[in-house]
Amino acid sequence: MGDGAGRLAMIELRELEVMYGKRRVLHGINLTLKRGESLSIVGESGGGKTTLGLSIIGLVEGTVRGEILFDGKNLVALAEKEWKAIRWNRIAMVFQNVENALNPLYTVLDQVSEPIVVHKLGDRNEATRRAGELLNRVNLPEGRFYAYPHQLSGGEKQRVLIAMALANDPDLIIMDEPTTALDALTKVELINLMHTVCKERELTILLLTHDFYAASTLSDRMAVLYAGTIVEFGSTPALLSNPRHPYTRGLLRCYPSMTTTKDLQGIKGRIEFFDVGCPFHPRCTQSIGICREKAPRLEKNDGRFIACHRGGIIPLLELRDLSKSFDSLKAVDSIDLTLYEGETLALVGESGSGKTTTAKLIMGIFEATEGRIYLEGKQILGRDKSFYQRVQMIFQNPMESLSHRLSVLEAVREPLDVQKLGNREQRESMVRQILDEVELPSSETFLNKYPHQLSQGEAQRVGIARALILNPKLLIADEPTSALDASTQAKVVKLLLNLQEKRGISMLFITHNLALARKISDRLAVMLNGIIVEEGPSNEIVSSPLHPYTEDLLKAAPTLSSRVPTVPERTSERNDGTGCPYANRCNKVTEVCFNEKQRLSSLSTHKVACMLCTATD
Amino acid sequence: MHINYWNELTRNNFGKLGLAMLCLVLFIALFAPFLASYDPDEPSHSILMSPSFEHWLGTNDIGQDIWSRLLCGAKNTLLVALGVGVFTTLLSTVIGASAALVGGLYDRILMRLIDALIVIPAFIVIILVAAYVLPNVWTLIFLISVLTWQGGARLVRAQTLSLKERMSVYAARTFGANKRYIIIRHIIPNLSPILFAIFVHSATRGVFMEAGLAFLGIADISTVSWGLMMHHALRFYYLDVWKWWLIPTGLALSVTIMALVFIGHALETAMDPRLWEMEQEDWQ
Repeated sequence: MGDGAGRLAMIELRELEVMYGKRRVLHGINLTLKRGESLSIVGESGGGKTTLGLSIIGLVEGTVRGEILFDGKNLVALAEKEWKAIRWNRIAMVFQNVENALNPLYTVLDQVSEPIVVHKLGDRNEATRRAGELLNRVNLPEGRFYAYPHQLSGGEKQRVLIAMALANDPDLIIMDEPTTALDALTKVELINLMHTVCKERELTILLLTHDFYAASTLSDRMAVLYAGTIVEFGSTPALLSNPRHPYTRGLLRCYPSMTTTKDLQGIKGRIEFFDVGCPFHPRCTQSIGICREKAPRLEKNDGRFIACHRGGIIPLLELRDLSKSFDSLKAVDSIDLTLYEGETLALVGESGSGKTTTAKLIMGIFEATEGRIYLEGKQILGRDKSFYQRVQMIFQNPMESLSHRLSVLEAVREPLDVQKLGNREQRESMVRQILDEVELPSSETFLNKYPHQLSQGEAQRVGIARALILNPKLLIADEPTSALDASTQAKVVKLLLNLQEKRGISMLFITHNLALARKISDRLAVMLNGIIVEEGPSNEIVSSPLHPYTEDLLKAAPTLSSRVPTVPERTSERNDGTGCPYANRCNKVTEVCFNEKQRLSSLSTHKVACMLCTATD
Repeated sequence: MHINYWNELTRNNFGKLGLAMLCLVLFIALFAPFLASYDPDEPSHSILMSPSFEHWLGTNDIGQDIWSRLLCGAKNTLLVALGVGVFTTLLSTVIGASAALVGGLYDRILMRLIDALIVIPAFIVIILVAAYVLPNVWTLIFLISVLTWQGGARLVRAQTLSLKERMSVYAARTFGANKRYIIIRHIIPNLSPILFAIFVHSATRGVFMEAGLAFLGIADISTVSWGLMMHHALRFYYLDVWKWWLIPTGLALSVTIMALVFIGHALETAMDPRLWEMEQEDWQ
């Protein structure tokens, strides 16, 4: 990692490369790990994590190039004889696959004492005593010391493996998927155990895992490995709360946790190794020409390292000080919003809060009174046809947004007609293709149907198909499901999420339904009377709302409990528009709230426009 | 809703009746030269005759065959209907739609102009004009049209304003469509039901006004017009001639006007969804 490569570096990898025959599994890895640090390497299986671990402990079967400096000594050049002093004495490993890592013919006590005996650190009695201590330390019941591996449960075997790794009191411990395949409680026990053991022995940890839970609890820093390359590297909490590389975000979206609220989403395609270009480019939704030709270097970017030609996930749409007034009414009052590539930003608020006006301002249906809109970093001044190829909108009421004079074919084809793309046959085949994609029939009879012959759900899918036919990067969905019943809504939402996974579409999802918003959005913005009162990651807003309005919205969100909801009372009749828009309904209102308008200010990853929250912090 | 005029007309009993009556008048107008036994303009010595085998409806004061004149009068009436219908609708559309689409000062000026024009009684103005120029059929069509387009223009403007705000039109704009595309592909097709209604309405009014003016004697003497026939017949009311001169002509005029009114009514029912639903309930 360039910096930190001073004397304290315990292990340093320099341009490490591992080939299995002609297949390059690790590719120019540079990592530094200081004494007492913990680093996790996360990524999908097949990404090269185990190979990285094995190459450090000298057990890898492929050809190793580059340098592995351990206390200044290059391990790559080491002869097998010299390894003895290091392997297990200085560097130990908790192997993956608990079933095969233990010898079925020996009791666990024998197996734990074996490394002590082999490395001649004590005689057999001494070794047995120490092994007993270690097994005690890892909380294996004493009655199990003389059990054979097949008599142990998965969790117990994992404990034995940890004890084995600790046997010779190493400095660096490499843990390869230590928590995989364990049930939740056992996993928690083991994570807890590893945490305390590592702390008390001041071990340096290299954790190889795909389990973000283990990584987040056991490591201070995190490197994301994809197809043999590190794509993002930084402090664990930063990476988890704000992933910046598309792959990191993709991994987090796949990981079910109690913290995230959005539905699980996958990463399109599967892992493949490439010799040229960015290894992630075939699965990346924001890849451009250069991504195919040149591998990006891991570069410092805003406190972390990212290997991406585009500098990580790009901001696709930026609204800056955007305002719209209708005569004296300020429908949108200088809002700031950023929508990143491939993410869903839910804009939540009651009717009349300015959500739809915001959408129409972006689409150019309304002219902004003030403010700027940027698309992919470029300010939008006039909207030509190419703008509408990149930005499309789904309307609230599908029946209204489809002209009743146009058949399904004509309606879905209309954007192509307007944009003059392709000839007649090409347009028609594109229509059929997109209808397939939104799970509608593309038969002749369906193509010739008119909107009034469609169900609400079908009509909205036609609307979605029509918005997608130009293959936009940004989709503005204005209450796309509010006219639909719950089951149709579920299908439409699933469809939108799948399309996002496949095409990397960014979505501005406008809704009044907070319960729905949290299931589909990465980030949430709460709007009231034309201003954004709170903004942040969906999970945080849902679990710990800051603005009283958001709190009340959450209380009003649908649940299945039989409790009769309480209605937030109007605390005051005053509202002259000078103060906080929620002042007259807020139960924590103070005099200042009526007089001063609060601006959105940042609190960690979360922004809020409430003087109570900003004052107490 | 998608309006299929033919289906809507034939589904409704009034529509069917109106259509049948209109077809009859149209048939007469087209085939009058073959149906008539005499030249309608040809005077003869046999004047004011009662109906006979030779003259089915007798003859008038200058010996013209009333039956033949009745048949030929259909052409004149339908010409006025068509002419006023087309011309008024065209004026209403251009003025109403452009006011709605352009908006601003242009719109305001036009609307005030309509307010001013709408209070002018068309009938009286035409009588005044006729005092100087005895209008032939084309002048009459022109006069009626330019004096009666205001109501239609208001309707078209209102409808265009609402169409312009339709989600489907906004949607078309979000595909990058320009004004021309929107007018041709979205506004005009959606205006068509209302244009059809304006057409039928002004055609009816055209027929009515032409007949009324002719009845008052304001018509080119050389035209064969039902109103004019009634005007002449009335001068001989003391004779028995009204039975075969006045009544059949009045009936022919009534049939034509009723045909148009029935058609208009049937279409209105089709276009107003609420009326349409009521009718559906009646059926069940």
